Amino acid sequence: MEFIIENLTKSFGTKEVLKDITFTFESGKIYGLLGRNGAGKTTLFNCVNKDIKSESGSFYLDDGKKEEIKPEDIGYVLSTPTVPAFLTGREFIKFFIEINEKSITGLRPIDEYFEMMNIEIGDRDRLLKDYSHGMKNKMQMLVNIIARPPVLLLDEPLTSLDVVVAEEMKELLRGLKSDRIIIFSTHIMELALDLCDEIVILNHGELEVVDKYDLDNTEFKDKIIRALKEEDDD
Amino acid sequence: MIKAFGISYDLKNTYRVNGIIYSIQQIPVIKRLFTDDLYASRGLKIFANILAALWEVISTFLGKYLYLLLLVALPAGFYKGGDAKGTAMHILLFLTVIGTFMNTYMFNPTNDKYYAMILMRMDAREYTLSNYLYSSLKVAAGFLPFTIYYGRGWEMNIGLCILIPFFVTGAKMTAAWLFLLRYEKKGVCMNENLPPKFAWPLTGILLVAAYGLPYARIVVPVRAFAVIAVVTVVSGLYSLVKIIGFGKYREMYQLILADKRNSVEMNDIVKKATEEQSRKMISQDTAFTSRKKGFEYFNELFIRRHRRALWRPARRTACIAAAFITVLLAAMHINAEVKEAVNRLLLIFLPYFVFIMYAINRGTSFTQVLFMNCDHSMLTFAFYKKPEFILRLFRIRLREIIKVNLLPAAVIGAGLALMLYVSGGTDNPLNYVVLFVSILVLSIFFSVHYLTCYYLLQPYNVNTELKSATYRIIMSGTYIVCFLFMKLRMDTFVFGIAVTAFCVLYSFIASLLVYRFASRTFRLRN
Repeated sequence: MEFIIENLTKSFGTKEVLKDITFTFESGKIYGLLGRNGAGKTTLFNCVNKDIKSESGSFYLDDGKKEEIKPEDIGYVLSTPTVPAFLTGREFIKFFIEINEKSITGLRPIDEYFEMMNIEIGDRDRLLKDYSHGMKNKMQMLVNIIARPPVLLLDEPLTSLDVVVAEEMKELLRGLKSDRIIIFSTHIMELALDLCDEIVILNHGELEVVDKYDLDNTEFKDKIIRALKEEDDD
Repeated sequence: MIKAFGISYDLKNTYRVNGIIYSIQQIPVIKRLFTDDLYASRGLKIFANILAALWEVISTFLGKYLYLLLLVALPAGFYKGGDAKGTAMHILLFLTVIGTFMNTYMFNPTNDKYYAMILMRMDAREYTLSNYLYSSLKVAAGFLPFTIYYGRGWEMNIGLCILIPFFVTGAKMTAAWLFLLRYEKKGVCMNENLPPKFAWPLTGILLVAAYGLPYARIVVPVRAFAVIAVVTVVSGLYSLVKIIGFGKYREMYQLILADKRNSVEMNDIVKKATEEQSRKMISQDTAFTSRKKGFEYFNELFIRRHRRALWRPARRTACIAAAFITVLLAAMHINAEVKEAVNRLLLIFLPYFVFIMYAINRGTSFTQVLFMNCDHSMLTFAFYKKPEFILRLFRIRLREIIKVNLLPAAVIGAGLALMLYVSGGTDNPLNYVVLFVSILVLSIFFSVHYLTCYYLLQPYNVNTELKSATYRIIMSGTYIVCFLFMKLRMDTFVFGIAVTAFCVLYSFIASLLVYRFASRTFRLRN
C-alpha cells in the first residue's frame, strides 16, 4: 500500500510554506519527518488531515487501486493531546467503538485495550480531564490502534512524555507499523534515527528523502544536518 | 525624564499601531486585501499613528464626559426634589474615593510597564514618574471642560468647577502615596488587578453612600465638598513631592509584574482562565451514566456532567420570571391602576420581549461549553468530522439547547398570557395564544440561531481563541437588532404573527444551511 501526496501547495500570506509537494510513502515503514522550527511540519499534517485548506493538492491511497483518501483513513496524534474532558477513559472508548462499529475489525474487550496501553485499572473510570499528559497521549494512540487507519500522522508525540511512557510508545509504534504508513514528525534527531526507517526532510517547502546507504549513525546524522544547512544556505 | 517618556510613549504607540493594523486584518473582505507586509508599510503606519493619536485625545475627553454624564449628572437628576448640584458633588466625592484605589494607573500591572521596565530595563523611576504625571495630567485635562460645562449648568462657582479636576487628581495622588508608604513600611504591594480584601466591600459601602444617601435626603453640603476639595488638592501636592522622591519603584514593579513573566499576552491569561473555568463546569461525579448508545450516549453524558452550567441557570431564570410574574399578579390584585397599565402594555409591548428572550437565552454559553469541553478535543479526531456524524450530533444538540431554553420561555409565555387574562383580558382571544406561542418561538429561534452560527462559523481555533471576525460581527449585530426592538411598539397580535412566521422561516433556512455546509465549516480554525 502507498500513500501519495500530489502537488500540495500551501501559503500563508505571501509565504509559501509547502511548494508543490509530490511524495509517495510506503506501508510497513515509519517515516521520520525532520525540519527546522517553522519549516511547516504541522502545516503539512494539517493539510493532509484537511484541518486547513491548501491551495492545491490531492491525497491518495494506492492498494492496487488508487483512491482518494477519506477522513477515516487518517489517524492524527497531536503533540498536545486533546481528549474530551467530560468522559471517563472507558466511556470515551465505548463511545468510539459504538459509532465506528461498522468499520472496526477484530474488536477486543475494552479492558484488553487498556492493558495493551498500560493504563491502570483505577484510572480507567476516571474523567479524562484528570489524566496526565502521557495518559491522554496514550488514549489518543489507543483510538488509532482500535480504528487501525492505514495512515498515522504523529506530530511530535513523544517530546513531552516521561522516559518510561516514551519507551512504551516507541515499542507500540514499532508493533503497529506493519501494513500501515506512520509519519512521525520531530526535531529530535536521535529519536528519528532510533525509531524511523526513513528520514524525510521538510525544508523550504519541499520534501526530500535522506538516504542512509551504508553510513553509520554519526555519519548519517552529519549528512542530515548538512542537508538541512545546505538547503538553508541556498 | 522627558526622554524616558518619549521612549515609553513610542513603545506604547508601536504596539498600539500594530494592534490597529492587526484589527484591520481581522475584518472580513478587507483582510483579503492585506498581507503581513502591512506591518512594514509606512503609509499605513502613519495612518494608524493618526488613529492612535486621535484615540488618545478622544479617550482622554470622551471617557471623562461619559463618566460625568452617566455616573454623576444623570443619576443626580433622578432624585426628586433634591438639589442636583449638591447631589452631583456628593456622588462625585464618593466615586472619586473609589477611584483612588480601583483606578490608580500606578498600580495597574499592564503589559507596557512589563515591556518597558522589566524586558527593556528602562529606569523604573523615570518611566513611572513621567508616565504617572502624564496620566494625571490627562485626568485633569479630561475633566476640566466638562466640570465647567456641567458646573455652569448647575450654577456652580467657576472656581469650584476648575478645582474639581485637581481634586480628583489630588485624591488619586494622595492614595498612591499612601500605597507607596505602605509598601515602604510593610512591604505590601498594591496591585490594581488583585485589590486588597477591603477593596470590594469598601467599594460597595461607598457606592451605597454615593447613590443611596441622597434617597434619604442626606447629601454632603457643597461648602463641605469645597473644603474637602481644597484640602485634597493640598495633600495631593504634598503626595506628589513624596511620589517623586520615592526610590523603590524597580523592586516594587518586580513584584507587581511578577505574573507577567509566565505570560505577557492577555490572550494566554484569558485562555488559561477560560480553560480552568470550563473544566470546573464538569461534574466530578462519574456515577452518572447512560444506557443509550453512540451519539445519544455521548450527548447524555455531556448534558448530565454539565447540568450545573446548562440547566441550573435556566431553572434560576424560570424561577425569577415566575416570582416576577407572581408579584405583578399580586400588584394587579391590589391596585387597579397597575392592572390597567399591564393590560395596555401587554397588547403593545411584545417587541420588548425580543430583547428579554435574547438576554435570557443560554445559546452562547451552551455553544461555548460545547466547544471548550467537547468539540475542542473531538474535532481533532477524523472520525468525528464525518459529515453524517456532524449532522447527527447537530440534531441532538439542537434538541437539547431548545429544551434548556424552553423552560424559562414556557414560564414567561404562560405568565404573560395569564397576566393578560387577569389584567382584564382582550377582545381577541387569539392574543393569549399569540403571546404564549411567540415567546416559545422566540426562544427556539435564538437556540437555532446560536447553534447554527456555531456550526457554520465555528469561531475557535485549537488554542480556544475566538478567531472569526464574522462570528463577532454577527453576535454584535444580534445584540443591536434585539436592542432596537425595545424601541418598537406594535400591536401584539400583528407582531406575534410576524415574528412567529419569521422565526419558523429562519429556523428552516438555518437548518438547511447547516445540512448543506456544516461538514465543511464545522472544524477547528487556524
